Amino acid sequence: MDASYLDLVMAQQEETFEDAEGGGGVWVVAESAGGEMAPVTLEAIGVARTLAESLGAYVYAALLGDGVRLLAETLYQAGVNGVRVADHQGLSPFSLEPHLGILVDLFAEEPPEVVLLGATEIGGALAPRLAQQLGGGLIEHATTVSLDPTGRTVEAAIPIYGGEYFEVVACPEARPQFLTIEPGAFAGPFLDEYRRGEPTMVEVEPSEPAVRVVGLAEGFRPPEVRLAEASLVVAVGRQAGDPAQVERLAEALKGRLAGDRGAWDAGLIEADQVVDVRGTVVSPDVYLAVGIRGDTFHRAAMEGAAFVVAIHPDREAPIFEKADLCVVAEPGEVVEALLTAIGSAD
Amino acid sequence: MDFTFSREAKALRRMVRTFVEKEVAPIAAEIDREHRVPMEVMRKLGEIGLLGVCFPQEYGGMGAGEEGYCILMEELGRACTSTATNVGAHIGIGAMAIHLDGTDEQKRKYLTPLARGEQFAAFGLTESNAGSDAANISTRAVRDGDNWVVNGGKVYITNGGYADVVTLMAVTDPALGARGGVTAFIVQSDWTGFEVAREEDKMGIRGTSTAELVFDDLRVPHENVLGKVGEGFVTFMKSLDMGRLTLGAACLGGAQAALDWSVEWAKTREQFGTQLAQKQSIQWMIADIATELEALRSLVYRVAWMVDTGQPFTELAAMCKLYGSEVASRAVDLAVQIHGGLGYSRDYPIERAFRDARIAEIFEGTNEIQRIVIASRIFREHGVRISP
Amino acid sequence: MRILVILRRVLDPAGIVAHRRLRRLFINREEYLIQPGDHSALEAALRIKDLGGAEVVVVSGQPEPDDDTVCRGLAMGADGAIYLSGEGFAGADDGVAARLLQAVVDRLGGADLVLVGMTTLDTAQAQLGPRLAGALGWPQIVGAWSVEIVDGRVRAVRRDGDDYVVVETDLPAVVTVPGRALEPRYPDGARLVNVYRGEGGMGEAVLRWDVADLLHPEGLVPLLENRGRDFPPERELGVRVEGTTEEVAQAVAEALRARLRGA
Repeated sequence: MDASYLDLVMAQQEETFEDAEGGGGVWVVAESAGGEMAPVTLEAIGVARTLAESLGAYVYAALLGDGVRLLAETLYQAGVNGVRVADHQGLSPFSLEPHLGILVDLFAEEPPEVVLLGATEIGGALAPRLAQQLGGGLIEHATTVSLDPTGRTVEAAIPIYGGEYFEVVACPEARPQFLTIEPGAFAGPFLDEYRRGEPTMVEVEPSEPAVRVVGLAEGFRPPEVRLAEASLVVAVGRQAGDPAQVERLAEALKGRLAGDRGAWDAGLIEADQVVDVRGTVVSPDVYLAVGIRGDTFHRAAMEGAAFVVAIHPDREAPIFEKADLCVVAEPGEVVEALLTAIGSAD
Repeated sequence: MDFTFSREAKALRRMVRTFVEKEVAPIAAEIDREHRVPMEVMRKLGEIGLLGVCFPQEYGGMGAGEEGYCILMEELGRACTSTATNVGAHIGIGAMAIHLDGTDEQKRKYLTPLARGEQFAAFGLTESNAGSDAANISTRAVRDGDNWVVNGGKVYITNGGYADVVTLMAVTDPALGARGGVTAFIVQSDWTGFEVAREEDKMGIRGTSTAELVFDDLRVPHENVLGKVGEGFVTFMKSLDMGRLTLGAACLGGAQAALDWSVEWAKTREQFGTQLAQKQSIQWMIADIATELEALRSLVYRVAWMVDTGQPFTELAAMCKLYGSEVASRAVDLAVQIHGGLGYSRDYPIERAFRDARIAEIFEGTNEIQRIVIASRIFREHGVRISP
Repeated sequence: MRILVILRRVLDPAGIVAHRRLRRLFINREEYLIQPGDHSALEAALRIKDLGGAEVVVVSGQPEPDDDTVCRGLAMGADGAIYLSGEGFAGADDGVAARLLQAVVDRLGGADLVLVGMTTLDTAQAQLGPRLAGALGWPQIVGAWSVEIVDGRVRAVRRDGDDYVVVETDLPAVVTVPGRALEPRYPDGARLVNVYRGEGGMGEAVLRWDVADLLHPEGLVPLLENRGRDFPPERELGVRVEGTTEEVAQAVAEALRARLRGA
């Protein structure tokens, strides 16, 4: 089959797109890094397609950057109906004003009904400014998205206090309705290689960024998070196998290394790393107990953790009573495989 | 009657609690273990104004009254009895005497740096032969022109090892005894003739300095006489009244901590398949501590209000001290029982709290003396004089 | 140099329990913190004041009469405070807040720098600062770990991927500060007492403005609407992961990834 013919048909079709009920379409502001589409952009397209289905609308993507034109292919494969590309060397690395100016112009010309961005540094910088300038509403960090058909309103759940519970919010009167999508909260769409399209190139003259990068902040270290407030704790116990390996795991996961009193007695950790009612009481989002049997004092000091993974060879180990995921195995092997699985094997 | 704390009091409590959580609680075990006065904490308390909590703003204080002072002591007492003791000796008795009876000049010179924590104070009353029997002191001050020459010594002086300023009681006329023969002086520890002889090694409150002081021809200028010559006993008794109230507040904090730990442990610990909280024996202990704690809280803050509104409160302050120290001792005792082996372990704060609590029944006048003070007030109303 | 710091309050999470099984929120102790980001932002402002002098003004508002938040700001060392209240305040979203604050800046006759927390502790929204920058037409720096004034420009340390970079922009500007960036100082004791008693000139330090005088009623209409609450599923403890070591590791890695997304 002659692919150029298909391209032509698609391109023609696009010219004649018209959204039902004067909508304006569901837009995704695409984000890319290192020549690849950011996963959250694909996830956002998945959300956009579901919404567009219910709205009877089309999905569009705005793709801004330097040398990004070819990435439009991935966007089409993910299921967008049209792509607007602004390809200019002034658009990379990201800075706010050039991107903002182009998107504001674009959305003035083609007013969207819904705009999705990733809840990333870039999405977080752009979304509120776009919403402010275009008079839209904005919901950040959406973890579920659905459509309330009355008034074509997008409803989204946002996590409160890091996910203790969720508030369901909507901006029924706002157009556009802006949302940023929590990375990883939604499945990415199937990439259909047969789907193709011809992106529309937008001629741009990016403005100057208002914020200049002076240089690297040499020697700057953000204040260290105290163990009691750490969001991820990797705790080592006497049955951990290779303690150095557990330390590597903590590093790979960007977590804090800790342990029980047994680990302290054995010299594996310092006194201020002991998780125990007589030491530090922790309540992280994730607690990974490696080779810890889990006496009362230890369990009492970590039971506030939101999610606990325990690895211990003895199936009767009391730590399993407090664990969401229980792995009955020799920790050494599991940790090694885990380092590989999270892509941090050395 | 309105038993709610004012917004100002709540804000002060929040400020103190934040400070205590960040600066005091984390070092409480360490200063106990190392037998060290946390000077860095004392200085920081001074920098943010808390050491002047009840003193007027014109002398570098906060002007938060006795209510504010009790809040400070309660919150300190929750985390660290040693720090509460250091602060209590500094503000509540050491500097308090200057606040109560000092001249404007003395307040400018001494109270202001004390309120700001630039200098620290101790209260020099107890002697080897006169403790609770405060009238029987023997440190002697003899007039010599514009000076007084002091000879003698004091024992068990809290903050004695590092105080810059000591409010000192000495006999100026042996013939007159406590009524008319005893005078209060403000002395500086950097003067010749002032010596710290030794530091006590104690069972509890190990993060404090309890020193023996020796005065050898210590020359004190007459302008440093605190109050009137011969009226020192009155000055000191007034200071002790204040100290007893706020010691009660510190005990309240200590008892509250014991209750908090116990409740937390009763929630956590399981025995015979159920949590401790489900066991009636434990419930009764918790209920008893909580009830006494509330009674103490009402007493302490009512007396603070009486002080702030200028009412007499001597026997009530004695009750704060007496009841507070006993409630705190009972609370930590029950906490040890509830915690079992953990309560007896040096790794957990209960053991320290248990050792620390005991002193409150002894210092600032033993509990027996408090009972005498209370009883003598009661009998006096009935026309009976009690001699101790 | 006038620095405006926005202070918002947030319910102390230590006092609440989100009960998954009952699907209810229990507020056991209703106490408020200053949003950690805003608290950190005030510390940043006071450090600028300490170094080179500045007038630090805190702005806060609540629908019900409670000026505790501005009092806290004053006690920490702010020179002045603006307390916004009024009926139109209920349900104000970040869009409304940005318009209000724009009106505040106008009424003050301008400001050189606005500092505000980057993200809210409860809802994790990070739009107030950027929206205000947009409304004012000022440049923005999002996520400043330190802030200083150098040669009449604002300079900040900001994260850039795994690195930290120094960035700079012209004044006036809006800068948002992460909650962990700077440890807020303790209030000054005597100042705190005076603030709450309205003594020592602190009573006059608070300007009380009615939002109705700042914005037309239509400007106070929020776009964001709350439609209810949802709870995570109940926790199921003790789930065994079986299989070969590799399979187990994969399953654990997958679970960790799911928990850590976006973090």
